[in-house]
Amino acid sequence: MSANNSVTTVQLGSVSQAVELPIHFLPCEIEHDGPAEVSQYFTSTVKDRKHELTVSFRGRGLKGQEVNCPEGYTGLVLKQVHKPSSDQEDGAVKVSSTFHNLTYWNLEIPPSTDDGVVMAMAWPKLADAIHGPVED
Amino acid sequence: MDLGPFEADNTVSCRLASAIPDICKTDDCCLGIDEAGRGPVLGPMVYGICFCPVSKKDELKALKVADSKTLTEEQRESLFVNLDEAKSFVGWALQVISPNTISTSMLQRMKYNLNALSHDAAIGLVQFALDSGVQLKEVFVDTVGPAEKYQDKLSQRFPGIEVTVRPKADSLFPIVSAASICAKVARDHAVKGWKFLEDLGKVDTEYGSGYPGDPKTKSWLLNYLDPVFGYPQFVRFSWSTAQTLLDSNAVPVHWDDDEEDGEKSAARQNNTSMLSYFNRTSSQANGDQSSGRDAHRFFTERRLQNISSL
Repeated sequence: MSANNSVTTVQLGSVSQAVELPIHFLPCEIEHDGPAEVSQYFTSTVKDRKHELTVSFRGRGLKGQEVNCPEGYTGLVLKQVHKPSSDQEDGAVKVSSTFHNLTYWNLEIPPSTDDGVVMAMAWPKLADAIHGPVED
Repeated sequence: MDLGPFEADNTVSCRLASAIPDICKTDDCCLGIDEAGRGPVLGPMVYGICFCPVSKKDELKALKVADSKTLTEEQRESLFVNLDEAKSFVGWALQVISPNTISTSMLQRMKYNLNALSHDAAIGLVQFALDSGVQLKEVFVDTVGPAEKYQDKLSQRFPGIEVTVRPKADSLFPIVSAASICAKVARDHAVKGWKFLEDLGKVDTEYGSGYPGDPKTKSWLLNYLDPVFGYPQFVRFSWSTAQTLLDSNAVPVHWDDDEEDGEKSAARQNNTSMLSYFNRTSSQANGDQSSGRDAHRFFTERRLQNISSL
């Protein structure tokens, strides 16, 4: 990848047309890249018992939690609109949807503050403390 | 039989019970345990107990209860009505174990197999009867796994109660036949009236028997297979029939606790082989660290990366 001189352009103009869609972050790898019947099979079976979200996927029990994007940040789902045919050619992606929170699912145990994705949301604040301008 | 409480949330297990007859709280009682729907790949498994005073055994026999497997659905329904009419001295309770509970238990990280699930359901029901004040003296049960081991487990768990574990108990002891009828009627109702949480439109209810060998069941499983999600929760994902169909007709899904070949999984996760450390070159350093140093643990733990290309 280090020899790759191509540039990938994010078509930011597409942000305004992008819709806000719910995001589910699953603790497994699904060998599929494309549309899926999420609302028919998944969202409709989510149970909220005493503030604990549960669902199952492929027969395995998941526990979930809503995770908000850091304040001032928007999550973007990018879609490739131009696939470069060689590593010299430039590529382009557009914003297909946006999100401000996601449902983070863990296998059998409830998500906690020890989970990577939950912890990652604290980085912008920390980055600001380290790199931001110093005020008197 | 009112399955309302189960139908209100058919993703979990549910206990249903008749009123406890007063005489069962004063007189010595016998109790039978049986199950329905252990083998099918579809729908819940139901555990049932039925109990009555030891002195009323002949009156129970007069109700002509028999092993539910030898009866037609209509006969079972009418026998259940008979049992219900005998509520002055016969009580029952059921544990409806949802197919989702079966799938998620059997596929748990710490595997919870069907025998353990069955034993626990049976024990839970006997404890429920005791907690409700039933004067239990005798328990009869059909075997699940080795009879002796099960008998020891139950005897130890319930000291002072005479436990009889016997193959074919459902045809030998009327109180077990009665339990088998309650369980089977509940299982039939649950399957017939299954409310799919999934938004599948009008669902074809020609499930067949639900047994893996039934061609009707097999073709239903193929018709309702989704390449990503697999099946609705009505299906027991832990059954090999379901797994085999998914393996050949759905996209592969990998979990971090999968027992797969180490090399294959490493290749899939783009891990470097141990040998590569002997001929490491600078170009192997990750493209996102211009200096070639590995990112700090703070970032790898949070799966944070700089991205310069996709």
